[in-house]
Amino acid sequence: MKFSLAVYAAPHSSQSAASALRFARTLLEQGHQLYRVFFYCDGVHNGSAIAAPPQDEANLVGQWQALQKQYSLDLVICIAAAQRRGVLNRREAERLERPAANLAEGFELAGLGQLADAVANSDRLVTFGN
Amino acid sequence: MTLHIVNKSPYSSRALADCFASFADGDALLLIEDGVYALTGFIADNIAVAPVYCLEADVRARGLQMPKGIQSLDDTGWVKLCTEHNPIVSWFQ
Repeated sequence: MKFSLAVYAAPHSSQSAASALRFARTLLEQGHQLYRVFFYCDGVHNGSAIAAPPQDEANLVGQWQALQKQYSLDLVICIAAAQRRGVLNRREAERLERPAANLAEGFELAGLGQLADAVANSDRLVTFGN
Repeated sequence: MTLHIVNKSPYSSRALADCFASFADGDALLLIEDGVYALTGFIADNIAVAPVYCLEADVRARGLQMPKGIQSLDDTGWVKLCTEHNPIVSWFQ
């Protein structure tokens, strides 16, 4: 079955972002497809390459990246939510004249249309709130 | 039929109450994260919907007892439950 996930929570603000990762990993291990993960609102922080959690805590950004590599996942960060919160790729950083880009490898910036597309092309959308 | 997922404690959020208000015959309720606190105290006695599931890992992480009539799931069971219901509605406000 084809799943998509919408993630609204930042890695360290609630358990929700970790739940989303757990769910994604389990469904892939069960042989289901993950069409897209759409990170929205504070969820955009899951794609920040400069987050540096202590070594004895879960590194969700790194774990998403590993999963992305293993399954060639489509990890999409809402571009409007990301601009407000300071998650920028190089192109956006230059365009908006900001001093640094911090979008983690394996993630992409795109518009809300990608969420609508995910809903249209998946059998299930599971939302992980904040 | 709809699977309702609640991840907030009923003692701090209206998420569960709002979920109950739109619960229809054939729907199912899944309690995850702090939502499992609905299994405690007077709230547990007032869950009038069925079936009710909860994530075992989240229940254990909070040191709670599993009341009778509630089905606990591991992560595999969680995914399977999501394949059996459509749509899946998350309540988190």
